[in-house]
Amino acid sequence: MKTDVLIIGGGPAGLNAAIETASRGIKTIIIEESYALGGQLKQQTQFFNNLPKQFDRQRGIHLMRTLIDRLSPLPVTCLLKHKMIGVYKDGRIGIANDTETFPIDAKKVIVTTGAAEETDLFPGWTLPGVMTVGAAQILINRERVLPGKNALIVGLNSFSAEVTKQLKACGINILGVIDKNVSVNDKKLVDGLEDKKIRVMVNTVIERATGAGEVEKVTINNDGKKEDLDIDLICIGKGLSPILEPLEILDCEFGFQAKLGGLVPKYYSTLGTSNPSVYVAGNAAGITCLGGILVTAEIAALNALKALGVLNDNEAKISSSFLWDELRSMESEESIETFIARVAHIKEFHEECELPLPASFHAILEGC
Amino acid sequence: MYIDHHPILENHGNDQISFFYDGTPLKARQGQTIAAALMMNNIRKFGISRKLRQSRGLFCANGRCCSCFVTVNGLEHVLSCTTLIEEGMEIKPNTGDPDVRGGIHEN
Amino acid sequence: MDKSTIVCRCEEINVDEIEGAIRMGASTFDDIKRLTRCGMGPCQSKICMNLVRELIANNLGVSISEIPPPRMRMPLKITRLGILAGKTSSSNVVSVFDEASLEAGER
Repeated sequence: MKTDVLIIGGGPAGLNAAIETASRGIKTIIIEESYALGGQLKQQTQFFNNLPKQFDRQRGIHLMRTLIDRLSPLPVTCLLKHKMIGVYKDGRIGIANDTETFPIDAKKVIVTTGAAEETDLFPGWTLPGVMTVGAAQILINRERVLPGKNALIVGLNSFSAEVTKQLKACGINILGVIDKNVSVNDKKLVDGLEDKKIRVMVNTVIERATGAGEVEKVTINNDGKKEDLDIDLICIGKGLSPILEPLEILDCEFGFQAKLGGLVPKYYSTLGTSNPSVYVAGNAAGITCLGGILVTAEIAALNALKALGVLNDNEAKISSSFLWDELRSMESEESIETFIARVAHIKEFHEECELPLPASFHAILEGC
Repeated sequence: MYIDHHPILENHGNDQISFFYDGTPLKARQGQTIAAALMMNNIRKFGISRKLRQSRGLFCANGRCCSCFVTVNGLEHVLSCTTLIEEGMEIKPNTGDPDVRGGIHEN
Repeated sequence: MDKSTIVCRCEEINVDEIEGAIRMGASTFDDIKRLTRCGMGPCQSKICMNLVRELIANNLGVSISEIPPPRMRMPLKITRLGILAGKTSSSNVVSVFDEASLEAGER
């Protein structure tokens, strides 16, 4: 199988990148390991306000529909239940489905694998009934199944707070949201939960979770004060980190940026990685907001198109400068630190490679 | 338990399908994963770990952690979180390693 | 932290075993993997990667940014051997590990 652009992962970044490349008539293949496109949008019932100009304010699941609808008339091949399992020596990508393994020969690869949830360590975290907040959200919104009746949430961040509210709205009794930090920077998060009569406990950790065959009880420790809670669900929300395996096997180099989720592939202002045929976008290029996911996908697709000779330098320059402004505005809205870390990450890699940053990027640097 | 009235989403159709868990006939909804079909029937323990024989169930729900293995129609180690339930499926818990030398299974 | 807490869910390696490996001189995930089998189960360290990196960093008193990730191995996702090797009935044996199969694998 041959293609101009191969996109690894059919979530919001992969879909938006495919819309860009396929709408230019470029042969595009998306491989998606799930049985359906959409990635984590499949279960995002909350509204997203902060989106690129071509999208109205809408719920995540509706945005998924919008992206798929825009993609469907375009010349793109979506291989569902296909996963990237490796790379051949000649650079072709090894793909497996339920029946066979085969290579895809792609001129450019855009890696949009998204993010994985981090976990927490406590005795009993392997028991059934202990799951990530993302898993609980999948169960209530995608599968319409209640994962439990009485829940404790570990880790306070915007995603875990949102899911906590969704779990409560489905009728699950939330016994508390705990966080090991002594204070929470984002007071709005705490207020948002307390408004819904959800108890928030800082400086609190799980001592142990126990149960016969599945989780039944949890002991929490609030600054030395222990408390036993009867629960049948513990949701771990310790944040996200980029999914890197395909990038590692594609020989991409990594750098560390705490504000982007830890280890992140090194990339240029083009979102090209140290492997000249590989681009990265979305959460795989550093944890960001949905707007950031969509815009980075456009930036990566644009530069892949430029490298393929589909766009001329001037076209690419104008679009790129517009997209970087848009990315800054998206990321500033949620957390300017993400954008600053991203720009620092790019600058470091350009310096390491002794490759000057494009002139348009200097204005962005000054803005940081 | 199934969420009949979701606070935000429209109601699903009522397309019920039947499957078996360890020989017991159960119902699920069309479009659910095996993991969700089991949890809807209050089955949360899907198997036991290889070394310490501890119970395991759904954890990441994204095909990464491999904690949710079940046996489907005789095929061992199927990820229940990413495989859709089908009419008549025979699901069994993951209780051990397959007999690789026996050559029992086609796949 | 209870030292018997499992870190690697698949191979069921606990905190004590990982700290033991660090005391023996392990300073990377791959060192720990070779000494304990941590990260060698079906999920291939996808879940425990950062837990282990953090344990190493804390024990050695360095930043987690100093601890490299484990070396990823193909296949990146759980894959049945029959699918890697190709069906025995087919003459087109395709394998990501088999150089000679590259030509045969052309579609």
